[in-house]
Amino acid sequence: MKKKKFKFWMLFVIFAIIELPFSLNLDKTLHIGTNPKTGNFSFWTTSHPMTLQQKIEEEFQPDQYLKESGEHGSFYGSEKLYDAFENFFGEGKAVGAFKLIRVLIVVDLVWLFLAFYIRKALLRIPSKRQIAFELVYSFFEDLVVDTLGKERIRFTPYILTIFLFIWTSNMLGLIPIPGLMEPTRNLNVPLGMGIIAVIVVHYFAIKHKGIGNYLKGYAEPLFFLAPLNLIGELSKAVSISFRLFGNILGGAIIILVVSSLVNFIVLPVGLNLFFGLFVGTIQAFVFTMLSLTYIAVEIND
Amino acid sequence: MQGMEFVAKAAALLGSGICMGIGALGPGLGEGFVAGKACEGIARSPENANLITRTMLVGQAVSESTGIYSLVIALLLIFST
Repeated sequence: MKKKKFKFWMLFVIFAIIELPFSLNLDKTLHIGTNPKTGNFSFWTTSHPMTLQQKIEEEFQPDQYLKESGEHGSFYGSEKLYDAFENFFGEGKAVGAFKLIRVLIVVDLVWLFLAFYIRKALLRIPSKRQIAFELVYSFFEDLVVDTLGKERIRFTPYILTIFLFIWTSNMLGLIPIPGLMEPTRNLNVPLGMGIIAVIVVHYFAIKHKGIGNYLKGYAEPLFFLAPLNLIGELSKAVSISFRLFGNILGGAIIILVVSSLVNFIVLPVGLNLFFGLFVGTIQAFVFTMLSLTYIAVEIND
Repeated sequence: MQGMEFVAKAAALLGSGICMGIGALGPGLGEGFVAGKACEGIARSPENANLITRTMLVGQAVSESTGIYSLVIALLLIFST
């Protein structure tokens, strides 16, 4: 008897068949208890039909959505608490800021935990986990040595920190838990990191060239072009952060729109693989590579 | 939604479509060109494949930024009008 070879695409067909009955009931909530209509103790469902526009607004502008539907008290438990948080964070930012801070804390906790986990395992004869992390470290060390030169190897921790933070942030979008989103989807996070990168560039430019030569650099090639040079320096921070923000936000919107069009059957997995895993890794790498290149342009002669 | 507001919303949606369509042209051409050149480079000197791929990715990301700007503008047009 010949054994039938297992085909990879059969997995997707099986998933589709399993998901089909669930996907038709996506807009319904299951309750257990006494049914208010009949008075019997049983399972019963209520339906909340949502349009695509409402789904997008709930995902990307949670405060506006909750206020329009009048459920803004339900997020914090009471409307009084919501008002208190709104006074603290600002008008219309109570839920969005809370969600952002929550995911940022998740990213920080992941790396705090991993740091202690690795520190425990440091040995002269390396264990498996130590080798895995040393591989990542030495890859970025080689990158820094290639771009900046052997004597500036101490930039490695900064560069590696940027990469690991952005990469972990982008990977958070892959976890299907409600409320977990990429922190980089909010413009404030990439913009803050872009400003940090530009400040680092200018600090080391002044340290390397001296303040006189640094200021003279703005008057090149002619002295009245100084405002243009200044705008060029500012646009570094804007372009580096908008690139990351636009990629992640665009990917998230495309995933949401396409997967609600196909009723969340199978296709979101492939979309998450491309926009979450591939684009997230590439953009994290590009952010670190560009901040490294900006430093190299100022420091190398 | 009445009168002028309706017209403004319709114009914003149309504008965002045109913005995304034209804005995607340039980065698409540029990235394809860079990838093709990188292929030629790797075929000529396979020992430099790592360096070429890294430089290609950074170059593509930089040329992609105009497309990302048009995406941000299109999103602003859709959501803020």
